[in-house]
Amino acid sequence: MAEGPIRAVPVKSARDCPGRRPQRAPRRREVVAAYLLTLPAFLLVLGVLAYPVAWQGWVSVTNHSVYLDGPPAFVGLDNYRRLLGDGEYWRAAAHTAAYFVITTIAKLVVGVALALLLARPFPGRALAFLAVFLPWAYPGGVTIIGWYWTLNPPLIAPHSLLLGRLKWAVDGWLGFGAYDFLSVVLFNVWRGGSFTAVFLLAGLNAIPQELFDSAALECKAGWRRFWLVTVPLLKRFLALAVFLSLTTAFADLANIWVLTGGRIMFPIIGTHAYWLAVKGGQFGAAAAVSLSLVPPLVLALVLLFRLFDPPKEEPA
Amino acid sequence: MSWKRRGRNVAHGCLLLLAVCYSLLPIYFMFIQSLKTAEEDVVGHPLIVTRPTLENYRHLFEPDPESEFLVRPPVAFPVWVQNTVVVFGASLALTLALSLLAAYGLGRLRPPGWRWSRRLLFATYVVPHTLLFVPLYELAVRFGLDNSQLALVIVYPMLSMPFCVWILSAFFQTLPREIEESAYIEGASRVAAFLHIVLPMSRPVLVAAGLFTLGTISSDIVFASILLHSSEIQTVVAGLGAMDVSLEELTVLAGINLAGIPLILLSALFARGYVRGLTAAMVEGA
Repeated sequence: MAEGPIRAVPVKSARDCPGRRPQRAPRRREVVAAYLLTLPAFLLVLGVLAYPVAWQGWVSVTNHSVYLDGPPAFVGLDNYRRLLGDGEYWRAAAHTAAYFVITTIAKLVVGVALALLLARPFPGRALAFLAVFLPWAYPGGVTIIGWYWTLNPPLIAPHSLLLGRLKWAVDGWLGFGAYDFLSVVLFNVWRGGSFTAVFLLAGLNAIPQELFDSAALECKAGWRRFWLVTVPLLKRFLALAVFLSLTTAFADLANIWVLTGGRIMFPIIGTHAYWLAVKGGQFGAAAAVSLSLVPPLVLALVLLFRLFDPPKEEPA
Repeated sequence: MSWKRRGRNVAHGCLLLLAVCYSLLPIYFMFIQSLKTAEEDVVGHPLIVTRPTLENYRHLFEPDPESEFLVRPPVAFPVWVQNTVVVFGASLALTLALSLLAAYGLGRLRPPGWRWSRRLLFATYVVPHTLLFVPLYELAVRFGLDNSQLALVIVYPMLSMPFCVWILSAFFQTLPREIEESAYIEGASRVAAFLHIVLPMSRPVLVAAGLFTLGTISSDIVFASILLHSSEIQTVVAGLGAMDVSLEELTVLAGINLAGIPLILLSALFARGYVRGLTAAMVEGA
C-alpha cells in the first residue's frame, strides 16, 4: 500500500534515474556481485590453508612418526592426552606464556611512549617518525640474521669479549640459555615496539584535540589523564596490537630459531613442536603440540571481535 | 611559565633523541660492521670504523659458485634483488587487488553474513604457522611448484590478506554512501564510481595495507628458505640465510644493508600515509 504514492510521482524512466530504481532486483544482483568479489580472496587464503590445517589436524590424531614401519595408525586423542602429563610440554607452555607477557608488556610500554613522544608537532617530526618506523620496516627476515651475529659474535669480533661476559653474567644469574631468551625478547620488542608505536600513533591522531584539551582542564595530573582518557580512547588499537603480538609470540619460530642458532634452552610451544617434528620425526605428537595453541588464540580472537563490533551493532 | 615550558621542550627533545638512538642503534651497528675490513672487524672498536671500505659490498657483486664454504654468494647479489622484487611485487599486487575486491564486496555491498565472512578471514591468524611448512611443502611438490617463485607468490598473500581485507572493508563500510550515489545520479556505473571516486579516496588505506603487506612478507624467512632452494631463484633473505654466516659475516651484513635501502626509501615516502591510512580505517571504520 505504501508504494502507491511513490509510484504516483512522475519518474521519467529507470534509465534516466538509475539511483532510484526499485530496490529488489538490484539488491539481489548486488549480493551476487558481492559474493563474487569476495570469492578470490577467500579462495586464496582458505585454499592455501585448507590442506595444511587438515593435514595437521589428521596427523595429530595418528602416531605418524619416521620411526614407524608402515602407515600411521589412528590413535584418537592419545597425543593430546599425553601432552597433559608431559613435563617438557608444560615447560614450553610456561615459556610461551612468559614470552608473550614479557614481550607484550614491553612492546606496549615502548609503543605508547614512542607514540606519545611523536603525537604533538615539533620541528623534525617527520625524521623522528621515520627513525621510529624503521625497526619494523627494515626487512625483518634479514635483520634478524644481523642481530644474531651482533648478540652472538663469532670469536673474532671486537665486541666478542664484552658480549661474552654479558652472556656469562646473564646465564649465571638466570640459568643457562637465559641470554638467548633475552636476545629473542629484545629483537621482538625492538621490531614489534616500532609497529605498536606507529599503530598507536594512528590511534592518537584519531582522537580530537578538543578531548585532550577539555581533559586537561578537568584533571591536572598527566598520569591520571593518561589512564582515564588516552587509554580508553585507544582501547581498540591496544587490543589489536595485543592480539597481533599474541599470534607472533605463539607462532614465533623463525626468530627464536635464528637468534639462538637452533640451540634452544628455553623452548616455547612453536619451537618445541618444530623440534619434535624435524629433529625427532614425531609428526603426530608435534602436530598436537602445535594445535594446542589454537584454543587460547580463538579465545583471544573472540574477545577482540567483541571489542571491535560490539553485539549491539549486530542487527545492522 | 615560559621556563617551565622550555624545560618541558628540552625534556621532550632528550627523550626523542633517546628514542631515535634506540630505534637506529642496531641498524647503525650493522651498517658500521659492513664497512669494516676483516682486520678491523677483529681488533677495532664495535661502534666506530676508522678505515671504511666497500670491499664487503664488492664481494656481493662477485659471485663465486666454486667456493666451497659459500664465503661469497653463489650468484651475484642483483640476481637475488631482482627475484625479491619480482616475488614481492607480485605478492603485493595480488594481495592489494584481491583485498580491494573482497573489501568492497564485504564493506560496501554487505551481502548477508558479511560480518562473519570478514571475521572468518581474520580468524586465519589463529592457525599456528609452526608446522605449516611441512604440508605446504608437500603441496608445492605435488603441484610442481617446489623450488618455484610462484609458490611464494601464492603463500605470501595468505599471510597479509586477512589484515588488509579487515582495514579496507572497515574503511569502505563507513565511507558515506552519498558520495557514490551522487555519481550514479550523474549516470556513472558502479565500476566507474568505484574507479573514479572510491579508489582515489581510499588511497591512504591502500598505502597502509601495502606497507603492512611488505612488512609482513619481508619478515618471512621460513617459507622463503623452504620453498626456494636453488640460488638462482632465491630471494635476498633465502639467499643470505643459506650463506655460511660465521665465515662471511661482513658480506652478509653488507647484503642486509643493501636490501634495507629500498625499504628505507619506501618508508620515507609512505610512512605518513601509513599512519593516515590506519587512522582512517580503524576509527572512521570498524
